[in-house]
Amino acid sequence: MGFELTGKDYADYIKKAYELIHENGDYVTELDLATGDGDHWSNINMGFEKLVEKSEELGQLPISEEFKEIGKTMMAVIGGSSGVLYGSAYLAAAKAVKGRETLDCQGVCDSLEAMLEAIMSRGQAKEGFKTMIDSLAPAVVAYKKGISDGISELEICEVVKQAAADGAENTKNMEAVKGRATYQANKGLGHLDPGAVTMSYQIGTLMNCIKEKINF
Amino acid sequence: MKKIINKPMDVVGEALCGMELAHPELLYTPGYEVISRKEKADKVAVISGGGAGHEPAHAGYVGKGMLDAAVSGNVFSSPSPDRIGDAINRMNSGKGVLLIIKNYSGDIMNFGLASDLAEAEDIQVESVVVKDDVAVPDSTYSTGRRGIAGTVFVHKIAGAKAELGGNLKEVKAAAEKAVANIRSMGMAMSPCVLPAVGKPGFVLEDNEVEIGMGIHGEPGVERTQVKTAKETAEILLEKILEDYDYTGSEVAVLVNGLGGTPLMELYILNMEVQKLLEEKNIRTYKTLVGNYMTALDMTGCSLTLMKLDDELKELLDAPCDTPALKIR
Repeated sequence: MGFELTGKDYADYIKKAYELIHENGDYVTELDLATGDGDHWSNINMGFEKLVEKSEELGQLPISEEFKEIGKTMMAVIGGSSGVLYGSAYLAAAKAVKGRETLDCQGVCDSLEAMLEAIMSRGQAKEGFKTMIDSLAPAVVAYKKGISDGISELEICEVVKQAAADGAENTKNMEAVKGRATYQANKGLGHLDPGAVTMSYQIGTLMNCIKEKINF
Repeated sequence: MKKIINKPMDVVGEALCGMELAHPELLYTPGYEVISRKEKADKVAVISGGGAGHEPAHAGYVGKGMLDAAVSGNVFSSPSPDRIGDAINRMNSGKGVLLIIKNYSGDIMNFGLASDLAEAEDIQVESVVVKDDVAVPDSTYSTGRRGIAGTVFVHKIAGAKAELGGNLKEVKAAAEKAVANIRSMGMAMSPCVLPAVGKPGFVLEDNEVEIGMGIHGEPGVERTQVKTAKETAEILLEKILEDYDYTGSEVAVLVNGLGGTPLMELYILNMEVQKLLEEKNIRTYKTLVGNYMTALDMTGCSLTLMKLDDELKELLDAPCDTPALKIR
């Protein structure tokens, strides 16, 4: 029997992701100031803060409904590019796991993949554009490979977390194609993309939460 | 950070609230951060919006002869589709809605989604995208050119066309004609401070200016020593003319301040700009000087030219009554 991620588990994950994002405010803002206008952290932090405020109520929903609520909230509260991209991502994930109360290992993979596709299509962006996609896409690839290779769920969590972190790290060597960093003469080369970093925080935290669930 | 604010998180709503109190003919809808005309007019609705921090843009251009509503996001951050949707639903009289969007990826995505959602509700929506900043290469691959101060002219032209009873197609065509004939170039002398960040986004030394900087502090084309007003006018105009040849034509001129530069300096710059235009056989039909599209407390300026034909002249001269621009 594998793990089953409940609505309550996901609401707990949101709280932990918020803590990590919140703690790293100065760092993420520094990254953003190097290539953008410095508002990424404050916007995404505001979005997660709102989700944490609503976490009691979110945790009681079936997971697909919870995703829908998270999507609507993020779209409205975060605004900007991140808001519409995260919003579209969660609404797509809600659709991908429609009607499900909980998520098993494959369900989490399907959700992440739906999010990735939504972000790529709404943002008209691909891997290698120096965006959050560069953390999410390798994580999804690693997740799918882990499932098809038949490694344990614990191992999957490890490789996915690592892939997301490595992916974010790799944005340092990329030139931006979308967003504010494209206005830099060197297209942000040599700097991490803040959106990829906050994405890797979320994926890393989600994988940690699943690991705890498995080990419990 | 020294600012007249309460909490950084509340700046957008409180600013719009204060604006409504100063202009009773406008309506502020909290939560959606929409400033709209109190009365819905029986005509094509012209709606714009974008991140806050560019005041008086865009809410300051709501009123007769210009916008029907303006939607605000957080500081320097696009409004979300639900906010834009509120403005569309609020102002649509059945004759359709034109969205005026500045060319940034966030605005394109959010206004695009809002437009899709409105169309799904059988509301006719068209969009024009302003990309007047010649500091950025135009490109179909990346986001391309930014929309900056020239947007104010687009508001004026589209708003006048709608007020005169143009249908959605005609209003859009007038706005597109304006966009095609507008070019802008900016220069910054000191950075702006976002209320939620609390410190400057970049550093310019005492003797440094940055040519081509964007209205969110995005990098420009080069950093150079402080220039005289004459040299600044030459640099900005030259960049514009490299991209679009206005020689022999009649133009509207906008000498715009970024928020932290005194009007005195803008007028000096205008004097130099007008001399140069005359030398280059470009005739000024109308000039605006002031803080029309700002970047919080950034010091600096931008220069915008719009080539005019008879239709654009008529639309530019048509009366408008908004907090930030009145033409009688």
